[in-house]
Parts: sequence; C-alpha cells; structure tokens
Amino acid sequence: MAPDLILILPEILLAVFAMAALLVGAFGGGDIRARPILWGVAAFMALVGLLVGLNPPAVGTAFGGAFTLDGFARFAKAGILLGAAILLLMSEDFLRRRGLLRFEFPVLIALATLGMMVMVSASDLMTLYMGIELQALALYVVAALDRDSPRSTEAGLKYFVLGALSSGLLLYGASLVYGYAGTTLFSGIVAAAAAGEGPQLGLLLGLVLMLTGLAFKVSAVPFHMWTPDVYEGAPTPVTAFFATVPKLAALALFARLVHEAFGAIAADWRQIVAFLSVASMFLGAVAAIGQTDIKRLMAYSSISHMGFALMGLAAGTEFGVQALLIYAAIYVVMNIGTFAFILSMEKDGEPVSEIASLNMYSAIAPGRALALMVLLFSLAGVPPLVGFFGKLYVIRAAVQADMVWLAVAAVIASVIAAFYYLRIVYLMYFGAPREGLDGGMAPAQWIALSASALAMVLGVINLFGIEGLAAAAAATLAGA
Amino acid sequence: MTDEPNAAPAAPGLAGLLPVALSAVLFAGFLALVPQVADGGAIRLAWDWVPTLGIALSFLVDGLSLTFALLISGIGALVFLYSWAYLGRKPEFGRYTLFLTGFMLSMLGLVLADNLIALFVFWELTTITSYLLIGFNHEQADARRAALQALFVTGAGALAMLAGFILLGFTAGSFELSVILAQGEALRAHALYLPILILILAGTFTKSAQFPFHFWLPNAMAAPTPVSAFLHSATMVKAGVYLMARLHPALSGTEIWMWSLTIFGAITAVFASVVALRQTDLKQALAYTTLMALGTLTLFLGQESGYAMTAFATFLIVHSLYKAALFLVVGNIDYATGTRDARILGGLARTMPVTAFAAALAAMSMAGLPPFLGFIGKELKYAGALAVASEPLVVAGAILIASALMLAVAGVVAIRPFWLPPGGAFPRQPRPAPWPMLTGPVILALLGATFGIYPDTLERALVAPTVAALLGSAEEAKPLVLWAGVNLPLILSVATIVLGVTIYAFKLRLRAALARAEAALPSFDAGWDRFLKGLNRVAVWQTRVIQPGVLRFYIFVTFVTVLIGAAGTMLARGALPALPSLSTVTWDGLALSLLIVAGAAIAAVTGSRIAAMAALGVVGIAVAMIFIVFGAPDVAITQLLVETLVVVLVAVALLRLPALDPPGTRDRRPRDAVLAGAVGLTVTLTLLAVIERPLDRSLTDYFETASWVEAFGRNIVNVILVDFRALDTFGEIAVVVIAALSAYALLRTTDKRRPE
Repeated sequence: MAPDLILILPEILLAVFAMAALLVGAFGGGDIRARPILWGVAAFMALVGLLVGLNPPAVGTAFGGAFTLDGFARFAKAGILLGAAILLLMSEDFLRRRGLLRFEFPVLIALATLGMMVMVSASDLMTLYMGIELQALALYVVAALDRDSPRSTEAGLKYFVLGALSSGLLLYGASLVYGYAGTTLFSGIVAAAAAGEGPQLGLLLGLVLMLTGLAFKVSAVPFHMWTPDVYEGAPTPVTAFFATVPKLAALALFARLVHEAFGAIAADWRQIVAFLSVASMFLGAVAAIGQTDIKRLMAYSSISHMGFALMGLAAGTEFGVQALLIYAAIYVVMNIGTFAFILSMEKDGEPVSEIASLNMYSAIAPGRALALMVLLFSLAGVPPLVGFFGKLYVIRAAVQADMVWLAVAAVIASVIAAFYYLRIVYLMYFGAPREGLDGGMAPAQWIALSASALAMVLGVINLFGIEGLAAAAAATLAGA
Repeated sequence: MTDEPNAAPAAPGLAGLLPVALSAVLFAGFLALVPQVADGGAIRLAWDWVPTLGIALSFLVDGLSLTFALLISGIGALVFLYSWAYLGRKPEFGRYTLFLTGFMLSMLGLVLADNLIALFVFWELTTITSYLLIGFNHEQADARRAALQALFVTGAGALAMLAGFILLGFTAGSFELSVILAQGEALRAHALYLPILILILAGTFTKSAQFPFHFWLPNAMAAPTPVSAFLHSATMVKAGVYLMARLHPALSGTEIWMWSLTIFGAITAVFASVVALRQTDLKQALAYTTLMALGTLTLFLGQESGYAMTAFATFLIVHSLYKAALFLVVGNIDYATGTRDARILGGLARTMPVTAFAAALAAMSMAGLPPFLGFIGKELKYAGALAVASEPLVVAGAILIASALMLAVAGVVAIRPFWLPPGGAFPRQPRPAPWPMLTGPVILALLGATFGIYPDTLERALVAPTVAALLGSAEEAKPLVLWAGVNLPLILSVATIVLGVTIYAFKLRLRAALARAEAALPSFDAGWDRFLKGLNRVAVWQTRVIQPGVLRFYIFVTFVTVLIGAAGTMLARGALPALPSLSTVTWDGLALSLLIVAGAAIAAVTGSRIAAMAALGVVGIAVAMIFIVFGAPDVAITQLLVETLVVVLVAVALLRLPALDPPGTRDRRPRDAVLAGAVGLTVTLTLLAVIERPLDRSLTDYFETASWVEAFGRNIVNVILVDFRALDTFGEIAVVVIAALSAYALLRTTDKRRPE
C-alpha cells in the first residue's frame, strides 16, 4: 500500500490542506480569515505544483491500476496546480472589493483542483468519474458564488443542470463500456476492444456517450451552450478559472481516455473528435464576431480554441498529443494574462465587461494596452507570437495524420477568429474616444498580465523548452 | 485627406537620423555583396529555430533577393531622411520611426528568408507595421478604416497563404525554399498542386493588390506620404510579386499558373491605369499607377521567356525608382501648398525649382521617354509581351493602353502643378521644401537617368542575376540597350507616346466620362462595407438562434445530439438488435414497467408541480421494486432512500417557484415528447443490443464458489454486502446519513431570512 500512497501523495496533501483550511474558516472566524486562507491555498498549490513538476519522476500505477502517475500526468498536474494558484492570487483583489471574498472560495478552488488532479491521473472509469464529479461539484458552487446576483445564480443553475446531464450521459456510457469489457480499467478496456470482432456495438455506444460527457467539459460544440451564459453570468474570477485550468484538465483526461482505453479503435473516435473540433472552431469563430461583452467573447474564444486543441487529438498520433499539450499550455498562459486584464476592468469602481469601454484605452494606460495587444495577437495566432506556434503544431499534427481537410478548415477558422481579436486591438488604439476605464490595477493582476504577454514574445525563441517536456509527456501516453 | 506635415521648416533632433544611418549601412553592406552574387554565388545562412517542426531561421542572398534588399535599404535611407524633415517635429515622431524601422527590417527579412515559415512571419510583420503606419493619423476616421481594411484584406490573404505554405512544405518534405525550388517537376505533378497554388496566390494577390483585391491600396494612401512612397509603392506591395517570383522556378510553367497570372495581371494593369486618369488627388493618381505596375509585374511572372523575365527585373527597378521619387515630390507639393488637388495646383516651378526638376526627370522615366531607364523598361515590356506564348497581341495591347495612360498620368503629376497656371487659391502660401526633402527625389530621379544612359551596369549587377534566380541561368537575360534599331517594340513605343499625349490633351473630357462610367459600376469599397455588415449580421443571427439563453433549449439540443450519435452509430453499424422473445415476460415485471411508464407520462403531461413530483416518485419506487424482484435488496433500499430524499428536497425547492407554464407561452411539449420517445427507443434498442451478448459470468461464478468457502454464508447477496464489500456498504450508509443531515440543514434554514 505504501508505494501507492507515495504516488498519490500530492493529492493527499492537497485534500488534507483543503479540509484544514475549511475547518480554519468555519471555526476560526469565517470570512475574516478569507484572505490568509486564499494566500495559503495559493502558496500551497504552487508548492505542490513544483513538487509534482520537479520531483524526480516517481512514476507508476497505484491501486491496482486505477491511478496512473506518468510523464503526461505530471505535465498536466504541474500546469493545473500552478495555473490555479496564479488565478487565485489574481482574483483576490476583485473579490475583496466586491465583498465576495468568502473563505469557501479558495477551499472550493482547491477541491476542484484536487478533482482535476485525479482526472488527469485516472486510468480507470471509476477514478475518472470520481475526479470529474469532485471537480464539477466544486465548480457548480463557485459559479453561483455571487448569490445576490440573479445572473450569477442563473449561471450556477444552468451549469449545474447541464453538467449533471452530461455526467449522467458519461456514466451511462461508462456502464455500457463496463458491460462490454467486463472491467473498468483502461488497460482492460483496450484489450477487450482489440480482441473483439464484428460490430462492437456496446463499446461504440459507450464511447459515443462518454465522449458526449467529455465534450461538455471541454465545451466543444454542440455541448458548448452553457459556456457563454456561464462565463458572462459568473463573477469574473470564476470565469477566469473556468476558462483556463479545468479546460487543461478536461483535455488531458480526454486524451488519456481515448488513447489508453480506446486506442485500439482509434478510427472510430477520430471521426467524432474531428467533428467536434471543426464544429467548435467555426462556431466559436463566427459567433464571437457579434459579441459586445468581453466575457462572452472569451467564452466563444475558448470554444474555438478547444476546437484547435482537439484537432491535435483527432490526429490520433503521439505527435498529436504533444501538439495538444503544447496548445493547451499556451492557451492557459494566454488566457491567464487576458483575464488578469479583464479582472482589472472597472469604471467608477464597478466592474465592466463591455468591449466598447476599451475605446482608446491605449491613451489611458499604454503599457497595459500594449500587453493586451500582444496577448490578443497571440490568441489570434498572429506570428511570430507563441500562439501561432501552438496553432502550427496542431495543424501539422493533422496534416501528418492525413487530415488535410481538417488543417485547411483550421486555417480558415483562424482567419475568421482573427477578426474579433483584432477588432479589440483596433478599438484600443483607434476607437472613438469615450468615457474610459479607471486606471488602477492590482499588483498580482499586473504581474500576471505583463508576465504572460512577455512570455508570448520571449517564448518565440524556443517556447521555453516546453516542446521537449510535452514530447516526453506525450510519449508516455501514446508512444507505446 | 492631408497628413499635416510640420508646420515650420524642420530643425528636429539629430537622433532622428539614426535610422538613416542604419539603412545606409545596410545598403552599403548589400552593395558589397553585389560582385559575388553577380558571379553566380548565392549566399546562405541558417540557424535552427523550432527544430521539431523543421523551422529554421535561414537566409538566402541571390540575385532576386539582393535586388529587393538594395531597393528596400536604399529607398529606406532616403525615406528616413525625408521623414526626418517631414514629420520630425511631431510628438509622435519616435513612434513613427519605430514602426518604419520595424517595417524595413521585416521587409528585409521577408526577401532574404530561405524558410517558408520564417518568410511568413516576416510577411505578417510587414502587414502589422503597415497597419500601424496607415493608421498613424488615428484621429482621422478614414485613416482608421483604411488601416483596418488593409490589415484584414492582406491578413486574410496571408493566412490562406500560410495554409498553402504548410501544404507546400509537407508536399516537398521541407520548409526550406532552396529545397523546394529544386523540386519543381514533382510539385507540379503533385495532386495538391492546385490547392497549394490557389492558396498561395490568395496571399500574393491580396498583398500586391491585384484585382479584385485592389481596393485597399488607394485607401491606404491615408498614411503619411513618405510611408506611401516606401510601403505602398516601392516595397511592401511588391512582396506579393516577390513571392511569385521566388516560387516561379517551383510552381510556374503550368497552364493554370500562366493564365491566372496573365489574366489577373492584365485586368489589374488596364483597370488601374484607366482609373488613375480619373483621379484629381495626385497621391490617388499615383496609387492607381502603382496598381498598374503591380499588374504588369504579375503578368510577366506568368510567362517563361527570357524577355519576360528581363522585363520583369528591369521594370521592377525602374518603377521603384521613379514611383518613390514621384511620391516624395507629391509630399513636397503637399508640404509647400497644403493641397494635393491637381485642379488647383499650378505654377510651382518658381517656388520649388529642385522639386520641379526631380519631378520632370522621374515623370519622363515613368512616361517611358528616352534616354531614361523607363524607356528601356518599356521596350523590354513590349519585347516581353510579344514573346508571350499564348496571346501576344492581347498582352501587348494591354500594355500599350496601360503605358499610354501612364504617360498621361505622368503629365498630370509633373507638368500641371509646376508649369501651368494655378486653378485656384492654395490653402497656404507656397514655401520651398528643406534639403532633406529634396535629396530623396533628386537622387532617385537621377538614378533613373543614369541607368538609362549606362544600362549595362544595371544589367550585369542586378538584372542578369535576378533572371538567373528565376530561370536558373543568367544566359537567358536579354541585354538592356537604349537603341536596338527600328523594330516592333520601338514602333509600339512611338504609338504609346502619340496615344499618351492625345489622352493627356483630352484628359478633362475623359475624366468626366470616366466619372460617369465609374458611378455606374459596382464599387468594391462599398462592397467591403457590406461584407463586414453582413458578417456581423450572420454572427448576431446565429447567436440568437443557437444561444438564446434558455436552458430547456440547451437540454433539447444535447439530447438531439446524443440521439443522433447513438442511433447513428447503430444504423451505421447495421446492428439493430433482434426483438426479444415474449416468453421471458413475467407478470410482475410487466406491471412494474407499466407503472414506470405511467408515472413518467403523468409527470410529463400534468400542469401541477405536486402531481409531477408524485409521479416521479412513483417511477423511482417502481424502479426500486424491480431491484427487489430481481433479488438485490441492498440496491433497492438505497434507491428507496435516495428517491424519498429527492422528492422531499425537490418539493421544498420547486414549490417556491412560479407556475410551470405561464399563460401565453408556447407549448413545446409535443416537440419534446417526440424527442423523448426517440431517445427512449434508442436507449431500449441499445440495451437490447447489449444484452444480446452473453453476460460476463466470471464475477458470479467467483461469488458462487467463494461465498461458502471464504465467508461461510449461503446467501450470496448477504455475503457480498457484509463480507466481500463490507467497506462499500459502510460507505453507502455514510452517504445516506450525510445526505439526510444536509437535507435537515437545508429544511431548517430555508425559512430563516439571511442576516445580511
């Protein structure tokens, strides 16, 4: 048992810490303790993230194969933990000034993060479901964090109903798969799929339903519909969180499930994933054009980006997984920076999210406008910024896998998507002047914004070596 | 549409001269490479960039890229000097210099890059810097619009081109241009040749403003005049032409290449020169003649002959020299008088003799009069046109019309403002331009004359190496001579001059006729606005349709998708299950099933919440009873407890909500009922299909044998619950207790108001 516990030590540490923080909050004065708890949770998550990322690789499986710690999981976990820590720090100022800084918030984020860590390590249907639900239940609550706002509660309710529906579908699919394969272990499922002959209907239907559930988590079209409503309605820090870390976790889980459990029937799921990918890219790109609210716009942007990331998966190759990881990592960094900026958008002390309020922003805060411009260009995939290389990776993965049509579709979608990012830049620099935003910005937000913008520029040199890391991580998953 | 140059004669800071020094040094450096390249030695440099993707930062200096590099750095130095006097005192001069220097370096990178991806990166950098420079006077609405338009048109084309590059790179197995160019045969025969060509031409045609993407270029004249001279005439718009020339060895020689370049080039050339005549703003007139030049260059690149390539290389250089000079001249006129309107301007030769001199030299080169380089260029154009394989007469005719119109436009720019009496009052008293603004036009205009008289220098140094880069051998290059004897090109030249002078004489009447004709034709610029509006409308429409914010609709879509996915899979696999035999039906099973169906139906049909909840409760309890019938009492008890809890909790929550369907709402239940029926049918079929396979009995066998041996119990279910899965049972109990506790907490607090 002991080696099992060592593999899952980071999760145990985080769980214990989260529960301790909850007790401190509940019995130690409630929301007065919210700030130290938030800082504590963030620091602890960052620490665990470094531990997972830098610790000499203690890889292997635990609990009879239900839990896997490999290079892929470590890559994803380090990203998840560090991303979550940064997002917490960025949110503190916003929440405090709106009176939303409740001690439950950091605890719930820690629990959601814990769920995501379990998700990326899941190599068994039960572990998978446990991770997903732990994550989702915490997120349902934080979506409705601002209980006095009808929009926030509506967002929470919508997310909950649709999330529960997708969990149900996922569970139904999992039970069909289990019924077919006779085991919940990914390794067993893949063996059963490889051994079977004829139309393996139960397995296929199970696959379809499970992909449905996962598509909801990554907000791929046509299961994206919660995304714009929830992003717009939820308090901005929650939106920022939704847009970044859970997406990384869900993509990683998606990749692991299709490669480890269904690797033997890749031809079947590649079609589905390619469809999700194209539909998401185009819908995200076209729908964003008409948006006037930047949070809604970012929702469509994330739908479109998920389409690109899934393209790497649709390739069904090791290089595709590498491309997916690189794309997801770049996506998270870009979104952290962008949301750091959105968090700081306010007028007369009230948060605003209208795009039009950015008109001539470059005159108010040239430095921040420049940083945001870099990020938007990178999101649009304008070379030579890092975002361009992310797109190049997934496109190349598709071409290598003989999916030229998908690659061409991706380029067309990126042309359409570039339109709305550039429109914001245009408004910031050339928009009709009107009453602008307030000038302030919290230090944590400022650091996140400028650091991620800088990363988009400096990363051009060698992508911070992420290529090699992602390649190693991908090899552990799809290489065998 | 004036760009407000300095109010007073400039004495700006000397720091503004740094970019002049930079570009002069670069120019000298490139000049030093000329002998080596002229001897046929191409130079290549490379560094790895993203090795996994095969992207390297590699550079290639051959005749073609060196010609471009010399034009860019040389004209760049003169333009920087000019800008220093023209804009040096504006507070935004620092920004301007930054953008322009950035542009020049990216443009150099573009022409020197030997890797497609690196080339694309530099290409996009020129797009962005051009965007910033067109929108430099950002308080003017039309400058902002023009900047965005240029960015979108060229940016969209570039991204299409990127797709072409990626296909090209994977087809050729490398992104290195030197590798790709060596595989012309294989590429032209490849199945992907056509998509590659179309995508790449989309990029080059937008960048070089070929018809029908031409409309952004005249609008881009909203930029400050030195920018127009540099970017939108001499260098950036030639990037598309450069790329077509660069890929000429790899992609040319097919019917589609020849026809598309010839047709689009010819249409652009003729169309642009006709419209140019109609312009009254001098800068606009020059912008349209730039379009004409770009069309002509494209047209020549469609061909294969040595004459066409020599004409291409020569005309490329000629045009850059005289057009940059003329733009700067127009900038001087604007600076001196505050207007660029050809109808008002006149009599400036006395105030600004040097400008008038430069204008005359450059215009004669543009008009193609001997002994200027423009004359040689024109002779070669005719020779090249007559050597065209397909339709020499059509091509030569197109060039004849375009050249004659060019001559007329040259007259408009160089004669009218300087030598004829003014047509109205100027906005300000004319003043002479300072020396930095004279240096550029004079040097450029003099170069045109010098090379006209000594053409063989240019031929050996640049034209022949460029032709060598295009056709593989310098032998193909035709000689550049002023007097080649009386031949067909000379006769055509004479005809051009006669026709051009005639047009110039009747230009006022022609202008009126053209204005009427243009009003009747559809405007591409207005079409652009309509396109943007339409795009917005589509986006808004589809948001309204697929994102109405109604949860019920979202759930509907989710189930539709699941239905399509599951039923589609089954149909595609042809795996519809056989109907089970009715002999296995038992009475109790049948009764419970009917109970479930009835409960579900009542829940769906009733309008009362209480009734719906009670009906759902019936469903849950009937399911629990099924578990009892099939001998799983533990599951049944859990199900019962959960069901009870759910009904109570839902009752507490739902009873506080408003009535189900307020009067006036559309009843969507029929639609939902159809969907529900279909989903139910699919799930039933799925279950039938799944149970067609024999059950995996390994677990059952294990418990049957092990329950007595290991746990000393004969009731297998009991043994499983309390022995084999004791921890699970314990967990289940804990879950039920926790659920009950939270239900209690919820019920207790719902009546209390929140303290805040």
